[in-house]
Amino acid sequence: MARTSFHASRQALTAGATLLVVALVVTFSSRGFLQQHEVEVLHPSPALTRVFKLSEINPRLAGSPGDTDVYLYEGPGEGGTLLIIGGAHASEIAGTMTVALLVETLKVDAGRVFLIPHANASAMTHDEPQEAHPRHLVFQTAGGPRKFRFGARFTNPVHQWPDPITYVQPGSGTMLAGAETRNLNRAFPGVEDGYLTERVAWAITQLIIRENIDLSFDIHESSPEYPVINAIVASETSQDVASFATISLQSEGWEFALEPSPPNFHGLSHREWTDHTKTRPILLETASPVMGRLRGRTDADLAVIGKDVQYMKAARIGAINVPFDENGIRSTRTGSPSSTAWRATWPPSRRSSARSTNWCPTASSRWAAGRRPAS
Amino acid sequence: MLAPLWILLIMLAVFVACIVLLRMPNGLALILAGVAGSLAGGQGVPVHHLVEGAFAYIDPIMLIASAMVFMASLEDSGALGSISRSLMIGLHRQPVLLIMGMTIFIMFPGMITGQSTATVLTTGAIAAPVLIALGIPRAKVGAMIAMSAVYGMIAPPISLPTMIIGSGVDMPYTGFELPLLIATLPLAFGVNLALAWPHLRRIDLQAVLPELGEDHAARYGFRLFLPLVLVAGLLAAIRLVPQVSVSIGVVLVFVIGALAGAVTGRRFNLASSARRSLRQALPVMGILVGVGAFIQILTLVGVRGMMVVDALALPSFWKFVGVSLLMPLFGAVSCFGSASVLGVPFLLSFLGHNEIVVGAALSMFAGLGDLVPPTALASFMAAQVVGEPRYLRVAKYTALPGIITALWAIGMILLANPIAKLIPR
Repeated sequence: MARTSFHASRQALTAGATLLVVALVVTFSSRGFLQQHEVEVLHPSPALTRVFKLSEINPRLAGSPGDTDVYLYEGPGEGGTLLIIGGAHASEIAGTMTVALLVETLKVDAGRVFLIPHANASAMTHDEPQEAHPRHLVFQTAGGPRKFRFGARFTNPVHQWPDPITYVQPGSGTMLAGAETRNLNRAFPGVEDGYLTERVAWAITQLIIRENIDLSFDIHESSPEYPVINAIVASETSQDVASFATISLQSEGWEFALEPSPPNFHGLSHREWTDHTKTRPILLETASPVMGRLRGRTDADLAVIGKDVQYMKAARIGAINVPFDENGIRSTRTGSPSSTAWRATWPPSRRSSARSTNWCPTASSRWAAGRRPAS
Repeated sequence: MLAPLWILLIMLAVFVACIVLLRMPNGLALILAGVAGSLAGGQGVPVHHLVEGAFAYIDPIMLIASAMVFMASLEDSGALGSISRSLMIGLHRQPVLLIMGMTIFIMFPGMITGQSTATVLTTGAIAAPVLIALGIPRAKVGAMIAMSAVYGMIAPPISLPTMIIGSGVDMPYTGFELPLLIATLPLAFGVNLALAWPHLRRIDLQAVLPELGEDHAARYGFRLFLPLVLVAGLLAAIRLVPQVSVSIGVVLVFVIGALAGAVTGRRFNLASSARRSLRQALPVMGILVGVGAFIQILTLVGVRGMMVVDALALPSFWKFVGVSLLMPLFGAVSCFGSASVLGVPFLLSFLGHNEIVVGAALSMFAGLGDLVPPTALASFMAAQVVGEPRYLRVAKYTALPGIITALWAIGMILLANPIAKLIPR
């Protein structure tokens, strides 16, 4: 009897201690997880015309974690209309940082520019388990440290769950793994009242249609071992401007390739925007070692600076598709997307065209120096 | 900060010490090994990464929990025993056909859900009493179920490891049906017939039937099987008309099935059945929590990258040896993790061989992870299903079929281009 009682007390003690440890861990760690829901403040350049929510296009996004800011810049002169989105995959920071850079520094002389820094706002609120990515990137500027979130490839499962066994891409019927249901760049052209991710995709596609956007950029990053890397992916309608931008970049020493948009790659922005809108879509893909499966130690330095011992070894055995040495990848990841977009949008031969947009990320050096433009 | 190899050795040493010396549960030992690795890697005790990693397998954990409750419900309602009786009565004169039919029957849930554990716990549990009644030893029956579940997981139409490998290189999941059938069906029939053959004999139905328990179907009729029909119907709906059934997850399907089981057959207390089944599943669920945290730390301190790059650096012959060992070993930690972390780089390293066939072959290596101890999810679950107290006895009988499967997959990679010519365009 006494033995049974001792055993029961010991079990109760173990259970109580376990619950206490779990409660402490939950309390301690939850603050950090919740911090990823705090949206960083951007300081738009004086050229900003207005900011509106994506839910203005699709009211079904109103109040949802998928709703996100759209920044509109209008120049005094007449011209074409441009869209640049980053953060369709929130772990591909070249996209979010490039568009954030443009939001804060843009100057538009003619035409209109729409910017969406966090295309998948929900994906900014979490990390992918087992990837060990940093939660935030901190940049030291003259105005003090600035913190930017490092998100995940997919929509936060807290916001869209459960995943189906397989994701049947709307329209095409292409079958993908169930988690791809939360992949914004597999959800285009989107569904008005579909999954949260599909609703976001639908709103962006409709924005392109409603605003008669001429040229659209979707900025991504991928692992150095991925076949399509440091590349400009263009569909049949955007080959001309993309070719010009590629040649222009190559002539200045940027190692970029031009890749066609395969007609059967459904759900991806470059394909579906071609098939469902009149815009000329371009997807940019720079190499990022923090995305890769071959990377060594994973931290914020790897995400920003990109030096990695394992990728150096991989480069020596020819396992990756970009040059990689002790200095990392020889490219500037936010520089190349913005530079590409600029070249594609404003080729010298088209300066007289009524539909070209005359804009420039002129203040990028000012942003980097930390002098924040007035909000 | 130590080199990744030393960190890995420290993590393994701590894991073994926790298991052998301190007799800790595997899951807890994995978490402590992760903490040790993080300290050795100069990252302190990263609570954020440990918690995040621990949640990596929340979906499979919920799936296992719900599937176990569903199986307990079927068992306690009398449905399982009645199905076993019916199968035995229908096919007892053709034992070879019975084995082949059973193989397809067991594989089926894996083919439509892409999960091996759900397969073991559903059709595996139904087939177990029939196979045991044929005179096949419990451990061998467990091995047959575990192997069928792994082949079912890889077989078309839904092969999650293949989808994961394909999505890593933006390869649409089309054209995989034939390579995946070549990868799985001949092996599934061959392995199960080989395991059962020494024990196949003329079946004395009258002697066997009492071992299969009471016939509840006579009392409750078709309604006894309604939970199974309901679950099969909902799973088929999710698969065939996903646009309509988007919001129903597999977990909810099993819960609905379990609730239905409580009112369609023999009366039982569902709460106590659920408690019993969850207690059985707790060790595996604990391992999955620990495995998630362990992999996250492997990634954080650079051990994962070292393993992948060193594997890719192997010369051609050794690359086949490497893929045969590393993918199943990593698959022991997580089959889907192996497909993602190793499957994608290996697919790229075999460029020149048809990517679809290679992708199908690599998913076999990843699937074998479910048979590799200490986790050996499929073997562990199969042991539970057949009532074999030591799952390593089941794992022992899966060793040779596992090696044959690996050789088969290597053959598919080598012959990828000729096999690809058979794929209809």
